Amino acid sequence: MPLRRKLADLVALLFAMAATLFGLIWLVWILWTTLAEGAAAITPALFTQMTPPPGSSGGLLNAFYGSAVMVLLALAIGTPLGIAAGTYLAEHGRNSRLAAVVSFLNDVLLSAPSIVIGLFVYELVVRPAGHFSGYAGALALAMILLPIVVRTTDESLRLVPNQMREAAFALGLPAWRVTSRIIYKSALSGIITGILLGLARIAGETAPLLFTALNNQFWSASIAQPLANVPVVIFQYAMSPYDEWHALAWAGALVLTTFVLGLNLMVRFFARKGSK
Amino acid sequence: MIELLDRLAAEALVMQSPAKIEVRGLEFFYGKTRALNAVDLTVSANAVTAIIGPSGCGKSTLLRTINRIYELYPDQRASGEIVIDGRNVLDPRYRLPELRRSVGMVFQKPTPFATNIRKNVAFALSYYERLPKAELADRVEDALRQAALWEEVKDKLDASALSLSGGQQQRLCIARTLAVRPEIILLDEPTSALDPISTAKIEELIHELRKHFTIVIVTHNMQQAARVSQRTAFFHLGELIEVGDTPQIFTNPHVQRTQDYITGRYG
Repeated sequence: MPLRRKLADLVALLFAMAATLFGLIWLVWILWTTLAEGAAAITPALFTQMTPPPGSSGGLLNAFYGSAVMVLLALAIGTPLGIAAGTYLAEHGRNSRLAAVVSFLNDVLLSAPSIVIGLFVYELVVRPAGHFSGYAGALALAMILLPIVVRTTDESLRLVPNQMREAAFALGLPAWRVTSRIIYKSALSGIITGILLGLARIAGETAPLLFTALNNQFWSASIAQPLANVPVVIFQYAMSPYDEWHALAWAGALVLTTFVLGLNLMVRFFARKGSK
Repeated sequence: MIELLDRLAAEALVMQSPAKIEVRGLEFFYGKTRALNAVDLTVSANAVTAIIGPSGCGKSTLLRTINRIYELYPDQRASGEIVIDGRNVLDPRYRLPELRRSVGMVFQKPTPFATNIRKNVAFALSYYERLPKAELADRVEDALRQAALWEEVKDKLDASALSLSGGQQQRLCIARTLAVRPEIILLDEPTSALDPISTAKIEELIHELRKHFTIVIVTHNMQQAARVSQRTAFFHLGELIEVGDTPQIFTNPHVQRTQDYITGRYG
């Protein structure tokens, strides 16, 4: 009998390890390929020159700039809105019907395919304006970020024990002060984690940008114009027949992957700080 | 001997001290469940009133009604009157900040805010009063001294409140409540999460605070009720069964159910 148990234990363990390995292999493979192919193209020129025409050398400066601008703008739109909505759901609307509806719709938005959001913003902004623009791209990214921030804010606020609320309210303080000074402080690491996760998500989004910011081969600082960005450049260059473009696509992919990896490490840091 | 004199003096004080809180015909509901039924209770000023009774008897509910903290939950409601200094605080027109400023509450589990010690104490104070920095510091010190915590924390006021021990955190919560200068302090099983030494410190503190505040303490520990209070009220199944001077309740209860509870027949 004990032998049978030991055997069953061993088999289960082996299965679990094999499954883990199976999942990890792809991740390591992807990371390794990106590193191997991209490392060669990581040169100073990558960060100082514009995307080149086929056959000549260049960099991704305009794409990095465009991505940074759009992501930051999306953060500026999505974060305050998301925190406000999450606060409403967790603190003020706990028992209201409206909150239940908002929460449900937020879940729908959370799982909406990003290309649908791209098309929506295309109809909403690009068509009436008559041209693609960085603003449209930022708006699309903000709409992807928003439900993530709403959900994580809501959840981290709900983790704050009710006793903390009671203790603060028992001092006679109004709700806004209790929330802004006490509850946010307790939930801070969770909220920051949510923002960083959302940031990591939108940094690599391609589909919504195809319909909104499109791309721009040239240097353009104007957000009102089509804006170059890393994911779409990777997409176009990878599909092209030119070796120089392939190299740049790999380099862009490596930088993007490193950025997202870094964000995830920061998330771990904040999450650990919060659980302490 | 001195203790006895102290005790007699305290009791004499109770005899002549006026009523601070008068509860009249109080009913309380959690949804459709009745938790308090026709409670009439007078709480004397500058004395400690202990509320005892088995779990679920409504003793915490009574406390949560006095500062209307139950209003955080939409399905809970109270009817009847709680008159403090001549005004019914259950009247919706009675302003909550005013009520909760004069009626402080300390909970079962210590609830320090996630910030440093100084800010924990100054937090509510700086909301109510715009004080110059030096005066604010004085008030923080006063509150910490009153809560018998000053000597332990005076060198680390900027340290996180979460770094304190459980007993210290609870005294910090008391200091936080004292800082806004309330008149009544509600203690909801304040030592049930603490070790015996911390418990003794809090009990000593209650003894000191009695001189300046009206204190209502809910406790499931009968020895504690006997040690710290001058008046004791026994609750059972949402009703006030008996209230009287603490020695009388513990040595010569008039009602059989009180007798049964105190002698450990149930509870």
